[in-house]
Amino acid sequence: MIKLENVSKAYPGQAQAALRDADADIDKGEFVFLVGPSGSGKSTFLRLLNKQEEPDTGRIFVAGKDLGQMSSWKVPLLRRNIGSIFQDFKLLPTKTVAENVAFALEVIGRPRSVIRSQVPAICELVGLGDKMTKYPDQLSGGEQQRVSIARAFVNRPLILLADEPTGNLDPQTSIGIMRLLDRINKTGTTVVMASHDRGIVDTMRKRVIELSNGSIVRDQDRGVYE
Amino acid sequence: MAFRPDYLVRETGQNLLRNPSLSLATILTVFISLSLMGVALLFQSGIDRLNSVFQDEVEFIVWMDKDAGPVQIELVEDTLDNNLYVREHWYIDKDETWVEFQSYYADRPEILELLTKEQMPTSFQVAPKSSEVQLIEGLREELETVEGVSDVQFASEAIENIARFSRVTSLSMLVAAIAAGLAAALLMYNSIRTAVFARRREIEVMRLVGATKWFIRIPFMLEGLIQGLIGAFLSIFSVFALNQTFDNLFTSFESVTFRDVALPDWQILYIGGWLMLIGALIGAIGAGIAVTRYLDA
Repeated sequence: MIKLENVSKAYPGQAQAALRDADADIDKGEFVFLVGPSGSGKSTFLRLLNKQEEPDTGRIFVAGKDLGQMSSWKVPLLRRNIGSIFQDFKLLPTKTVAENVAFALEVIGRPRSVIRSQVPAICELVGLGDKMTKYPDQLSGGEQQRVSIARAFVNRPLILLADEPTGNLDPQTSIGIMRLLDRINKTGTTVVMASHDRGIVDTMRKRVIELSNGSIVRDQDRGVYE
Repeated sequence: MAFRPDYLVRETGQNLLRNPSLSLATILTVFISLSLMGVALLFQSGIDRLNSVFQDEVEFIVWMDKDAGPVQIELVEDTLDNNLYVREHWYIDKDETWVEFQSYYADRPEILELLTKEQMPTSFQVAPKSSEVQLIEGLREELETVEGVSDVQFASEAIENIARFSRVTSLSMLVAAIAAGLAAALLMYNSIRTAVFARRREIEVMRLVGATKWFIRIPFMLEGLIQGLIGAFLSIFSVFALNQTFDNLFTSFESVTFRDVALPDWQILYIGGWLMLIGALIGAIGAGIAVTRYLDA
């Protein structure tokens, strides 16, 4: 599903590369943690997968497509197959829960009938069936993250990228979010999650890819944070 | 990639109303710059009409008295025939003058009703061998003394002066119009950029969930298009008002020639069409560039 071959990436003006000679192969339906301290290259890894960044060298394949060969007009189509969630949720404060979720379908031109049936179903799935008319600032942090997961998943993507999704949440709430991500993974969606939350990584016992200064230093099945 | 019309209307409407003072400033700038452009076009067309009265080589027209008889006409014709400096001349009789007069005043039946063909003056159109001012001056002095001649209308004097004056004014007005047009496009660019900036989170989400660039761009371009069209529409009124002023002014001169500086309504509409097109282009393209720069950043 995801394959990196000798991928390197440096940002202009920074002496040290964000990612160095990274190789990785992630199968369909896998759940993978990217671990490592801040600045080790986790976010860059994720941003390369949906073409928010371009690698300097190396090749990246996502869902069988070589991203380096992909013309720019096809990038939106790629992103429709990749859901993204973030530490800061990126919800739109002027829209309700249902509108935030519907927005993701609206802007890719889905018909209204699809939106009417899909939005309530996905809100139910993430446990917010009774809060669809609330605004983000009326929700707790955990609930807001559930909205952003609903938005990322409503289009049934093949891949879900999560960049520190529990970074702003307390441990108890984080467990709920991880259960939800696990459920989504069980439907066959490949999940790649960057985290430096030791407790979560150790409890989940999933595959762990550890990054240090831009290099992959460990790739272990059923791993722990260390 | 189907656009739902309700989405487009809602997004564009929200954009326009989000920052009303900026929208208004943009519309006013377009209005002012296109008004200037319209006035420059008005001058240009007026001068073109004026010049068309004097056919290419005709340097002056000798108007006969209304009741000049055949003898007097023949006298003038002899004078022209015998003058070494006259290359060509044509006699325009009452019939021809009447036809021309009717076409000038086609949109003013009240004037045509007051006059008859018999009241039309006849005239000679004269093309001299050279357009040297002294030579033409001499010719005029000679012709004005011939019996039956009421007036010698002198192209190189009256028309050329006005043409020169209007060339300078319409050129400087065109320059001002282009400068104001640039200002309008820049203001449009800035206004849309502010709108884009206010919606950067939304745009970020749109890009992440896979909205195409055109999908993001089009509501903003539509916003610019509407602002441009409103500004252009308003500017047509100022051009129209100025033309009315010309019309009143020159009609009071009682001169057939100068009355033509004011344009008929259909020609104002033609200028208006151009202004609408330019306004729409400035609006849509300015906005398109502003969004694109943000999308690529």
